[in-house]
Amino acid sequence: MENILLIFISTVLINNIVLSYFLGICPFLGVSGKLESAFGMGMAVTFVMTLATSISWLIYHLVLAKWNLTFLQYVVFILVIASLVQVVEMFIRKFSPPLYQSLGIYLPLITTNCAILGTALFMVTREYGFLESVVFGFSGGIGFALVLLVMAGIREELNYADVPVIFKGASITLIIAGLLALVFMGFSGLISS
Amino acid sequence: MNTIQISVISLGATGLVFSLILAFLSKKLKVEEDPRLEEVLSVLPHINCGACGFHGCRPFAEAVVKERKIFNGCLPGGKEVNDKIINILGLKDTVVTKTKQVVSCRCGANWDEKIHSAIYDGPPTCRAAHEVGGMIDCVYGCLGLGDCVEVCPVDAISINEKKVHVDVNKCIGCGNCVRVCPRALFQFRPFKNEMYYVACNNPEKAPYVRSVCSKGCIGCGICAKVNESPFYLKGNLSYLDHTKAVESAPQEEAKTKCPTKCILKIDA
Repeated sequence: MENILLIFISTVLINNIVLSYFLGICPFLGVSGKLESAFGMGMAVTFVMTLATSISWLIYHLVLAKWNLTFLQYVVFILVIASLVQVVEMFIRKFSPPLYQSLGIYLPLITTNCAILGTALFMVTREYGFLESVVFGFSGGIGFALVLLVMAGIREELNYADVPVIFKGASITLIIAGLLALVFMGFSGLISS
Repeated sequence: MNTIQISVISLGATGLVFSLILAFLSKKLKVEEDPRLEEVLSVLPHINCGACGFHGCRPFAEAVVKERKIFNGCLPGGKEVNDKIINILGLKDTVVTKTKQVVSCRCGANWDEKIHSAIYDGPPTCRAAHEVGGMIDCVYGCLGLGDCVEVCPVDAISINEKKVHVDVNKCIGCGNCVRVCPRALFQFRPFKNEMYYVACNNPEKAPYVRSVCSKGCIGCGICAKVNESPFYLKGNLSYLDHTKAVESAPQEEAKTKCPTKCILKIDA
């Protein structure tokens, strides 16, 4: 139990998938304009990440590892992720067209979101058990959603700020991303072994 | 069984399972779309220029089908496409077909004519160069790095010797270049067979203009004094009044009389 709590806290705060591994930067900058769509994106990624990590674990340990096919892990993981994204896309399109509109191209692009493949591969290299993998995938997604929401909150406030002309647009966004990464480095001493 | 066989079989099986699940779900979660949307989409030109005021052809088609009105219509498609859309939706109202608008660039000097005393080595976009002042001495003229070429959906703009050339036959008047040019050099104008324009954007007085460019408008007003001239002076810069520019003779005369040769003509 302690182990699982440790995985959760360290993945969400200390080794945040976006701000310390720099994975999934594309949607992090692309969908963080509005809080609403950032929330939707965060939830979609959390869903895909949790399921992808758990299904990947099952396939990896029950099929690939058994028959010495671990070299297939990349192909299989991508297959799992792509299918899951398709399912999520169909669900969102059916049940929440406004969210589908606001996510736009970033929704199918979850397929190529390196954060999701990253968690699946980390799960293998760190030799997590099934429950640990599920928690790891879930907390990775929560970490992603958290950062996305923080970023969207700041950017919404920024619309009313007097930003110097040179920093307007992409530059101020990248500067904020860098500052956020610095802030999250402050968590690095949170858990002492 | 060797490794290849096992990997092919297991990968194929996983793929099959996933595809079956997806096929089942796509039946279950199918979203009914208005069939007219596809029809409207099929007649649109699909260059996503955004001239209609929407983000592209698909959002435009969605809005047209949903609101059952044609807004400003499809500009590049012209009357033909708009009539088709009206037919598909069975709309009674006729679209206001405006005369075709094209753009012209108000800087007609090429690289040697613009005096340049700085070297710009930054990102090769006009917007970046403009932020730091640019490499040419004229702060109103074309930087020639081709931001307009990049945003043109129909490849109507080309840059030769850092001078912009607009192919008016290809131009659809979407206004992407008007919005992107940091020095606001592009101007809309009604399409005609013979089009004249003042190829200078420098409103300063003659000594300054001469110090930065050999082809700039010095505000002498000769073009405005030609009989029935559609040209007029505002400050130290000449402009063309498009409503008066009907006859080509006075415009041609102004063009030949211009001492710095900055009135140019485009033949469609």
